[in-house]
Amino acid sequence: MKIKKMLAGMSMTALMLGTALTGCSGDKEKTASNGEKTEITLAGWGSSPEETKLLDEILKDFESSHPNIKVKRETIADQYMDVIKTRLIGGEGPDVFYLDAFEAPGLISTGTVQPLDEYIKEDFDLKDFEEPLIKAFQNEGKTYGVPKGYSTLAMFYNKKMLEEAGVEVPKTWEEFQAASKKLSNGKGVYGFGASPELARLYHIAQAKGGKVATDNKATFADQKVVDSLQPIVDMHNVEKSAAEPKETGATWTGEMFGQGKAAFVFEGNWAIPYLKATFPDLEYGTAELPEINGKKGTMAYTVSYVMNAASEKKEASWELISYLTGKEGMEKWTSKGFELPSRKSVAEKSGFAEDEIRGPLVAGAPYATVWADDTNLPIIFNNFNNQFISSFLGEQPLDKALKAAETQANKEIENQ
Amino acid sequence: MSNRNFSKAKAREAGQGYVFMSPTLLVLLLFIIGPILYAIFLAFHKVQLLGAADFQYVGFDNFTKIMNDEKAKIALWNTFKYVIIVVPVQTILALVLAATLNAGIKGQKFFRIIYFLPTLTSSAVLTLIFMWMYNQNGLFNKFLSIFGLPGYNWIGDPSIALNAIMMMNIWSTAPFYMVIYLAALQDIPESLYEAAELDGANVFQKFLFITVPNLRPVTSFVVIMGLIGTFQLFDQSYIFSGGSGGPNNSTLTVVLLIYQYAFKSMGTMGYAAAIAFALAIVILIATLIQRKFSKEESLY
Repeated sequence: MKIKKMLAGMSMTALMLGTALTGCSGDKEKTASNGEKTEITLAGWGSSPEETKLLDEILKDFESSHPNIKVKRETIADQYMDVIKTRLIGGEGPDVFYLDAFEAPGLISTGTVQPLDEYIKEDFDLKDFEEPLIKAFQNEGKTYGVPKGYSTLAMFYNKKMLEEAGVEVPKTWEEFQAASKKLSNGKGVYGFGASPELARLYHIAQAKGGKVATDNKATFADQKVVDSLQPIVDMHNVEKSAAEPKETGATWTGEMFGQGKAAFVFEGNWAIPYLKATFPDLEYGTAELPEINGKKGTMAYTVSYVMNAASEKKEASWELISYLTGKEGMEKWTSKGFELPSRKSVAEKSGFAEDEIRGPLVAGAPYATVWADDTNLPIIFNNFNNQFISSFLGEQPLDKALKAAETQANKEIENQ
Repeated sequence: MSNRNFSKAKAREAGQGYVFMSPTLLVLLLFIIGPILYAIFLAFHKVQLLGAADFQYVGFDNFTKIMNDEKAKIALWNTFKYVIIVVPVQTILALVLAATLNAGIKGQKFFRIIYFLPTLTSSAVLTLIFMWMYNQNGLFNKFLSIFGLPGYNWIGDPSIALNAIMMMNIWSTAPFYMVIYLAALQDIPESLYEAAELDGANVFQKFLFITVPNLRPVTSFVVIMGLIGTFQLFDQSYIFSGGSGGPNNSTLTVVLLIYQYAFKSMGTMGYAAAIAFALAIVILIATLIQRKFSKEESLY
């Protein structure tokens, strides 16, 4: 077992050298626990300085209320999952780390994530969490992670542009299409700033009853999925009322929106502090995403704290997780609005539902589709994006593009 | 007797040598030879490294899989296109740059420094800077619009993205080979040029019939290094496409594909190793072909 682990570690080194990839974190975090103070590591990706500061404050609170535990926070700035996987293989994984719902089933299936059921006590109140969010981290009745927060998508609209064009905030997809057309001027300003990728389109793709994935296999070439996505492709190619950020020189839709190159974008919670910091003069509002076929829909993205199954300090790790996702910790964590609280009780107290900007995001939570599926979602996602963009740019018809992507995805799934 | 003594002394000396070399040998074994052998081992197994590590011998399965892998074909074709265009262009450009810099122009030391600068920048940084310039509102499109030419969506358009990477890479690697050529140019005896001048050769004739043939061994080196370097294209296309090889697989290279199989999907580490192994063989063959066609031994 030990030798296998070592061999495994070496293979990673081999491939890393082979691909000229450097940057393996070689932290020797584990200090001998002498019984007095347990040091645990918490790894996450880099977020904004304000967010990191907030987390540090909460960790300080935790340490003062748990004097026998010391938390070492680590930031993995880039290629988070690659680094985490490599470290887990090498037996150098952190005790507690962030895990995106999208990557969760794959990592859980390998057995490297500790099931938390034996630690979760009645007073932790697991039922308090929004059902779809916690479900993303459950497998065969076991809970592997506790969501630290979430964000849904809402429609951000530029108040000034809508006013000048005399357009009402659209409620249905048809209204949205018409409004986008009216707001495009053909000279670099578009109605809709689209992100042509599955993470943002998943709920739209399934709006007409088709399924993106069935039984862990790609099924997005289904005519129903094609029909649901066709309007977005048409908006770009026929009506010329949508564009992706790259076409306007922006890196993401939030930036495109801030620069006034799109009147509508579908963005999440993270765009709010960004817009405030980067485009303070922008006047914008938010609304729930336009209905398709009279049905509401949006995406939800969630990240949870999980425990390394190989950790030697599980009790202390659980203490940390339960503090961070407990009622008190979550209230502090979500107080600045970087993320929405995944606990219902905290959400009620926070007042975000009444907030003018964040209200529509909160309103989306009950009907949102969580961005997670099964272990093969990364493969499905990669192939979908690769072909959808070419169809979005008008190089091939959508049905053909999705068919090719589906075939390739399923081939890769079989080849595993 | 004396002979035996001598061999003993020799053995001792060799032993001492190895003791002194041992740190280096150990490092080489551990970090270069070991991983290579292990990669070969992986190529014949189906591997799951996370959790309970699991190895399953599958023989040549991983290699036969490559034949049916549409993506591998696209990756190989992209890489091939890239190599076929970049290697000749950068070699010729490097040669021309070196020749002009060696011709005794005023301020040539200054130009040498200027030309060499791109090589000094890290390729990742370079890519990020170029992505700014390739931006829809960036320098390149502004420049084109001065001449009334239409701009491109350099990064997002599948038909252009690979060309954009090619341009960037030629710009950044040609100066490195230029320096090698510059060094080689100093070795060409001045008398040959003088003799040619007496025979009435002009500048171009001198370049074509004296400089180019005399540089043949160096050209061979430059081309081989270029082949190896270009076949390994990874970081530029990774940063360009955010790791996906998109849009529409247009910037998917073999090494990027290896990376995707190794790290992005579970349980395909063995397959990734097999592709890496296949790539090594392709590079070996390309190098051998190149050597066959360049007659570097027949110079003098």
